[in-house]
Amino acid sequence: MTPYLAMPPRPAWPTAGARRLHWATAPLRALNIFVVYLVLLGLWLLVVPAQDGTLTIPIVRVILFIAVSVPVAVVAAGVGVWHWWALRYWIEGDDLVVDAGIVRSRIRRIPLSRMQGVDVVRPLVGRALGLSEVHLELAGGSSAQITLRYLGEHEARALRAELLALAAGLPPHTPEAPERPIGRVSLGVLFASLMLRVPVLAAIAAFFGLVAFGIVFKELAVLAVAVPLLLGLLRGVIAPLVLYTEFSVAVAPDGIRLRYGLFETRSQTVPPGRIQAVRVVEPLMWRSFGWARVEVTVAGYSGDRQALSSTLVPVAPTFAAFDLVSEVFPGVSVQKVALTDSLSGRAAAGVSRDVFVTRRGLACRTWDVVALARAQSVRMTASPWQRLTGRATVHVDVPPGPVHVAAVDRGVVEARELTDDAVTRAALARTGAARTERWAR
Amino acid sequence: MMPPEPYRQRSREEAFGPPLGTQWWGLSPRYRWHRRISALAVAVLVGPVGALVVSRSAGGVGVLLWSVVVLLGLAVAWVAAEQEYRAWGFLERADDLVITSGVFGRRIVVVPYGRMQFVDVTSGPLEQVLGLATVRLHTAAATTDARVPGLPTAVADQLRDRLARRGDEGQGL
Repeated sequence: MTPYLAMPPRPAWPTAGARRLHWATAPLRALNIFVVYLVLLGLWLLVVPAQDGTLTIPIVRVILFIAVSVPVAVVAAGVGVWHWWALRYWIEGDDLVVDAGIVRSRIRRIPLSRMQGVDVVRPLVGRALGLSEVHLELAGGSSAQITLRYLGEHEARALRAELLALAAGLPPHTPEAPERPIGRVSLGVLFASLMLRVPVLAAIAAFFGLVAFGIVFKELAVLAVAVPLLLGLLRGVIAPLVLYTEFSVAVAPDGIRLRYGLFETRSQTVPPGRIQAVRVVEPLMWRSFGWARVEVTVAGYSGDRQALSSTLVPVAPTFAAFDLVSEVFPGVSVQKVALTDSLSGRAAAGVSRDVFVTRRGLACRTWDVVALARAQSVRMTASPWQRLTGRATVHVDVPPGPVHVAAVDRGVVEARELTDDAVTRAALARTGAARTERWAR
Repeated sequence: MMPPEPYRQRSREEAFGPPLGTQWWGLSPRYRWHRRISALAVAVLVGPVGALVVSRSAGGVGVLLWSVVVLLGLAVAWVAAEQEYRAWGFLERADDLVITSGVFGRRIVVVPYGRMQFVDVTSGPLEQVLGLATVRLHTAAATTDARVPGLPTAVADQLRDRLARRGDEGQGL
């Protein structure tokens, strides 16, 4: 296995085909630095609080402010231009090379076969100016993300198409693959789905209960609980609402494409074969509406990126959710896999030629699906209590993420048969599976 | 090569047994002493410190009770070392490594060679004195936890080399 980020010798000076970021990066960075200066120091140089609490601006202070700010502005501009000038990227063979040589050459060489996904993000500032960021997700470690900030909108899309084409083993100037829209989530449904959850409704009830209590008994202390509760609600409802506004899913030969966001629009592409496992969640209150949510584990994502990238669809009709699973694992129909109940009757598990499926929970029903070809290991465990009652649990291990595949509380003999079955089928699936790198070759 | 066994249902006792028609490979018998000496070391460390704390609050009776508890714990660990040693087993098959362990709770892990990211061999101070080493397999899943402790150092090195060679033939993720 080659290390992800090797340090090659410095290439011969002007490298053919080296590209720079959009020129607007330089003034934006300068502005950024200047604003930080203003907030931390600049404004306090200018303004003097008087004894009576009003703010005054004496003329001496204005001179001092200008005397300090002008050099700072010049330095900020210099840093901005220097950063922009020094950062160059180019494609060399199968690698994307990024040279961020601010002081001395610092080259990162990114093997595109390791690429887990490409996102084009348009932050609020960028949308006004027609700028985008390109994020490259790589397998392994939290530092394994490359951000190119900012590129022109067309440039960003072209770069993404080029990177995906190269990673797929196609010539770099292949036009962007045509996509087939699968569906979109309307704002109303998204909002309703976020509200119709037991914890959210309970929190809202608790909030109003507390406020009523506070008004009736004229007790301000309830705010100590009510305010954090409200903040939690904002975080649990408004944050996903803003994040997933205008959510749409499309399938293209180079992967599943997700687009979403209100202020910051994000367009995410997950190449085929990078999704390790899928979870379909049907919360209790969603089931009467026939809704479900789909989450995925993509190898190599960790921390924040895992949380951000683990949602394939925030809410969708249940049949559409299962259809999407069939898009992720071609030829698999989860609902057709024969499941057998666990001893407790609260869970079920089954194995088919390609996938291992478990279902759990009576209230919030969760389906976990892992492609056997991608299973990392198969485990069968029995806790002391399970041993006394003649039961065991079969786990199919996948990389860290939202999906945990475990067939709980099987009869111990049946569990062993399930284990052996999964192991045999996984071995068959692995030999039959196409390599996940260079999927188009 | 032996022909595959005709299918037969396992009994409950055999549920955690080796794959049909095979037998587990065991650890070095010295592994028992590794467990026992470790337990002794813990008892020697925890015993007096605990006794000191207990004597402050509960006096002589407390110390006596505490000593009984520590000695009992040591005795159980001493006896369980034998069971634990017997419970460990591993088997290299054509495609995967199978490991079993556990006295009270039991487990079996099957790791395909193709999914191994790396193999390491570690040997703590006590293991070094006893000439033992632990082989650990790492996959992309954190939950795999596939390790074989208590192998003679030479055997561990050979196992690591074989696993590494087989892992190269696979494709990683």
